[in-house]
Formats: sequence, structure tokens, C-alpha cells
Amino acid sequence: MDLVQQHTWGWFIAIYLYLGGLGGATLALGILGELRFNKSKWFGIGTSLLGLAILSFGLIWLVLDLLNPLRFLLAFWVKGIAHSWIARGMVIIMGAYIFGLVYAVAAFFEWTTFKKWMGYAAMFCGFGVTTYTGLLLNANVGIPFWHTPALPVLFTVSAFSTGCAMIMWVLAGKNDHESEHFFHAVEGFDIFLISLELLIIFAYFDFARLGNAAVMKSAHLLLANPLFTIGFISLGLVAPLILEAYASMKENSKGLAAFASALVLIGGFLLRYLIVWAGVFQYPHGLAG
Amino acid sequence: MARYGMVMNVKTCLGCKACMAACSQWNQTPFWAEDGGKWRTRVTELQEGKFPEVKREFFPTICMHCVNPPCHSVCPTGATYINKDGIVLIDYDLCLGCGYCIEACPYDARYEYEKEDLEKDEFYFGEDARHHQVHVDKCTFCVDRLAEGEEPSCAATCVGHARIFGDLDDPKSEVAQLVNSGKAKPLGEYMGAQPKVYYIK
Repeated sequence: MDLVQQHTWGWFIAIYLYLGGLGGATLALGILGELRFNKSKWFGIGTSLLGLAILSFGLIWLVLDLLNPLRFLLAFWVKGIAHSWIARGMVIIMGAYIFGLVYAVAAFFEWTTFKKWMGYAAMFCGFGVTTYTGLLLNANVGIPFWHTPALPVLFTVSAFSTGCAMIMWVLAGKNDHESEHFFHAVEGFDIFLISLELLIIFAYFDFARLGNAAVMKSAHLLLANPLFTIGFISLGLVAPLILEAYASMKENSKGLAAFASALVLIGGFLLRYLIVWAGVFQYPHGLAG
Repeated sequence: MARYGMVMNVKTCLGCKACMAACSQWNQTPFWAEDGGKWRTRVTELQEGKFPEVKREFFPTICMHCVNPPCHSVCPTGATYINKDGIVLIDYDLCLGCGYCIEACPYDARYEYEKEDLEKDEFYFGEDARHHQVHVDKCTFCVDRLAEGEEPSCAATCVGHARIFGDLDDPKSEVAQLVNSGKAKPLGEYMGAQPKVYYIK
């Protein structure tokens, strides 16, 4: 068996996977705040447009990674939708744009029922964007570290954790009752998500310890990389978990939670980059020499 | 309609790499690229065993033209397709150049035909240049030669009879007999892609 670290995908794809997840989660959580937590219409409009702007910025990196970026229009030719996660992702992203923008318009004109249904559709698509980024990597059968059902779950949880961090930033400066209420709801949700993420990471490495050679190599690469151990695990997960848990028990602690959110946002990017970087092909012996 | 496949006899491969030369000339693959070139077919040199029980082996590889190809599964635009003879091909006009298929292929059969490769292709082959747009490239079993009743260039040029090409559905063909007898086996069966290139080791 020949183990070879992948080099086709790098920074650009990692940035996209991160911003795609962050944008989708911001869109979904922002609309949730407006529809179910009595946040103002401007909060709904602002966060949905912010989510779509983040997603758009991410898509630029995806296009730049193409062999010829000018051929990006071909991505709309989704003939492979029956089996390809890029094609399915394109449809989900288009759904997020269409429903997200229609929701923003409906919220502006206060078409209550129409706004609600468009909001739910946009939330569904936003959730889809966060999930598909994991499924995208999951489809690579030659890279066993990616080809596990845990990866889409990990990316979805991480995306929503970064989405919570973004929403907390948006809410940090506001002191009205609804904002306080939603801030603490999001803070609690983020504590749950970070805990879940730690559990998934633990399960991932326990699986690697018992697993096949390529998964072990990927795990070794990560554990030997300070960006992963110190950067992601310590500063991107454990530190914000402790800080947010502490902040949730104290009054007037939004600054601390906002600082923890910054760590979560950096950690989210590190996770995407490191998982992409640590992809190791497991070629049958002889193929790689 | 056929079901084309190939048998690689590792025992008789001389390591002359004439197959690589023939393929790269016929298909104009970027033999000029850095780090040893980009190839549709390769012959890797393996050192097996430990001193003093050591031997050198030559290992020919190519696209496995899988029945269930992961590269086809992930292609968003339908650029990768399987023709009526079971050959996995790429429609260059539809290729987005996302590299998803390169990542998905568990046999390292694909590479990027980049802008600088196009320039070199025109430089070396002039009017006969066959690549005019950036795309992902891979073995086609020389589908253009098959249409004219000829074998793929690698099999046609192999001096050691290490590459045996034919129709797996024709029980009289040498490939079908080698495969059906169980002498030739595919690589990495556990991945479920069902390759149609088999190896005698």
C-alpha cells in the first residue's frame, strides 16, 4: 500500500469550505432569530445578506481554484446532479441565494406569511450549504480520512458553531431585551456545539487509532502539527468552550463571549485547512512507486 | 458494443517504458512537465524485499476504466462519462477544471492539463496539437485508435507482452481467458470501483 498526501486541493478550497459553512450557518441562524426570537426585521435582513455576502466571498476562492476560472459558468451545467456533490451544492447554493434574497425583500415589505415560508426555505438551504461542504470531501473514496460519515457531521457542527460566533458578534453591541435573549440562546447553543465538536474529534482520533494505515497517517500528521493541537484543539475549541461557559454564568460578559467567538472563527478555518491538508491517498501498492 | 479491459503482466514488464513514450506521443501528454512529467500511463520501479533478498520490479499503471468509477460519480457537469464500450472518457468542452475527479480517483490516473502545457503542446506538435483548452486528462484506451481497429498505443508497442488488451465479453480473447481463469486480478478491489484493468503478479 502506498500512502501519499494529497496536493491537488489546498488553501483556496479550505477557505471556500470555511466561508461556505460560515455563510450558510449565519443565514440560517440569523433568520431563525428574526422568525422565532422576535428580533427586528432589520436583523433578519442584515444577517441573511451578511450570510450571502460571506458565501459569495467564499465562492470567489472556489472559482479561483479552477484550472481556468473563466470557465466557472459551466458549474451551472449541473448534469451530474444525480451523483455529484458539487452539482448538488450548486443547486443548494442557488436556493440559498434565491430564498435568502426573497426573504430579505419580504421582510422589508413585511409580507408576514410569505416572509416566514421564504425564511424557512432559506434556512433549509443554509443548513444544506453547511452539510454539503463535508459531503463534498466525503465522496473521495481514495482518501480514507475523508471517506467517513463523521466528516459531514463534523463540518456541519463546526459551521454552525462559527455561525453562532458570527451572530454573537452582530448582537454584542445591542442591549435591548430581544437581543440579550437571543444572544444567550446562541451562546448556549454554541457551548453545546463546541462540546459536540470535541466529542466528534475524539471519536475521529479513536477511530484513527484503531483504523487503517492511511487514516493513521492523517491522524499522525495532524497530531504532529502545532496548528492542530495548539491552534485548533486548544485555542479554537477548548479555550472558547471554557470562556463561553464562564461568560454564560456571568452578567455583562458579552465582551468575553465576543472574544471567544473570535477564537471559534479562527478555529473553524484551521479545521477546514488542516483536514484538507491531512488528506492521505491510500493507493494499491505499486501505483505511487 | 464491447467491454474493453487490459491485463498487465508485471512478470514480463521489462521496464523499458516504451509504452509511456508511445502514449505520450500519440496522446500528447505533458512529458515536458516538471517533476518527471504528467502521464496517462506510468511504469514505476519498485524495490521489493530487503537485502540480500531484494529484487527490482516494474509496475505499469493506467486508468482502470472502472465499472463504478468514483471520478464519474463526483463530476458535476457530466464531463466524465462512460461510453458504450465501457471506456471512461472526458468531454473536454464540459470540463470545469475543478479537480474533484483527481481527488476522487483512488488509482492516481488523472492530472491537470494546464495552460503552460497547452503552450508546450503547440510548441512540440505545431498544427497537429490535440489539446486546445485546459482540462483534466486521463487515459482513453486510445479510443481514436480503437475506432480504426487498432490497439491502444501502449499495448501495441509493448515488447514484453506485458499489456494485453481486448474485449472482456469475448470468451476467446486472451484478456477474458486470463481474467476468467483467475490468474489476473484487479488492484484495490476493496474500494468497490470494480476496475477493468487486471494484474498478473
